[in-house]
Amino acid sequence: MLGDAPKALEVFEAVMHDAALRAAAGEMPKDRLWLFRDARDRCLEISEAGLQSEEMEMQAHPVDADAAVQIAKLEPAQLAIWISGAPDPQRSALALFYLDEFSHEELLALTELKTNELAKLLGNARQQFQAWLNASFPHDEHIEEPARQSLGGGGLPA
Amino acid sequence: MPRLTRRQRMFVNCAPFNDARISDRAMRAAVFRVRKADDFAHQRAFDRAIASVAEAIAIPDEVTEWLSKGTFVAAPRRTWKQMLENPVVVAIGIAVAVIAGIFVYKTIERLNEFPGEAKAKHLLTVAASAKSVILDPVKTEAGSLGDYFFMKHRLPHYDVPAEFAELKTLGCRVFDDEEGDRVGQIWLVDKRMQCFLFPAERDAKTGAVKHFTGWRYVDQDRWTGVVREQNGVCFMAAVRGGEKDLAPYISKKE
Repeated sequence: MLGDAPKALEVFEAVMHDAALRAAAGEMPKDRLWLFRDARDRCLEISEAGLQSEEMEMQAHPVDADAAVQIAKLEPAQLAIWISGAPDPQRSALALFYLDEFSHEELLALTELKTNELAKLLGNARQQFQAWLNASFPHDEHIEEPARQSLGGGGLPA
Repeated sequence: MPRLTRRQRMFVNCAPFNDARISDRAMRAAVFRVRKADDFAHQRAFDRAIASVAEAIAIPDEVTEWLSKGTFVAAPRRTWKQMLENPVVVAIGIAVAVIAGIFVYKTIERLNEFPGEAKAKHLLTVAASAKSVILDPVKTEAGSLGDYFFMKHRLPHYDVPAEFAELKTLGCRVFDDEEGDRVGQIWLVDKRMQCFLFPAERDAKTGAVKHFTGWRYVDQDRWTGVVREQNGVCFMAAVRGGEKDLAPYISKKE
């Protein structure tokens, strides 16, 4: 959500601190997803206060059969930066979807989206990410370092 | 990709790449339809590859110290509505309802059973096939035929109950049924109703009359009868129709 480990840690500590206080007071919310909801809200709050990503027209390519090979070449940090650079609610949808912790209904509840909205956001994100992968990791090249360089050179929507 | 509805396409687009996370039935059905399609396989491979990279994102030591790897989302509570929508529960519910229905039907049927029911049903078939010409023409009040049966045929207690006593008769007769019992048959003007008087069922061992109280309904081949036992003799009023045709008579106060 933030693409920044220290900030993420800050949010995590704040959430856990709040949870501990609530538990001590016996005021745990009935919402079983409240911890994630709280974390998401805090992440959005922090990211709104920081630098905002520029809105830009993203290219979109159909999901490639060899996309998994391209993705395997990614550094985890690159993915984190790409997702954190996406505008919300797409950012929340991507972060929570790829966390592989939630069912469809839970995702909708957490992102406060409808199924068609979530489907559209995820579908667009896949195609945009594929376009970026195609630009960064062309199929006919052996690229590892160049991809990272292109990532740092403005290939990201951040 | 197989032909999908807009709704199914939407579900496929946002279907979790981990099948265990798909709890929605409609989504599961949509995923099942496209499970062999290349496009969906590419989407799944794409999502899984991203998820594996996401999983590799380093978690700060401070966080891992706090949390051991485990489940951070409480298992969803199943609501009554969700449980009731489960096809297994629905199937069991229907089966239980059918069994309960049969049980209730049998119980009610058993409660309505009375001694002499078989004979009453047989007499309903007699009523269905009877012609007025086979009866002796007797135009009087049904209540007065008790004396007639006693005086002419020596049948004591073959009395018409008060509920039917004032109805006008067309004719009557006495005949022996298949068991050799003497049966009194009366044809009434009202609704072309027929009445039967016959001996109540007796215990095979002791010979004692099997008594029952009140009026009991019996039906056979679109004919309905209402039967009462008194002094060892059963009286049955029979009419072509249902219970509603006889109910007004027996609801009269004696």
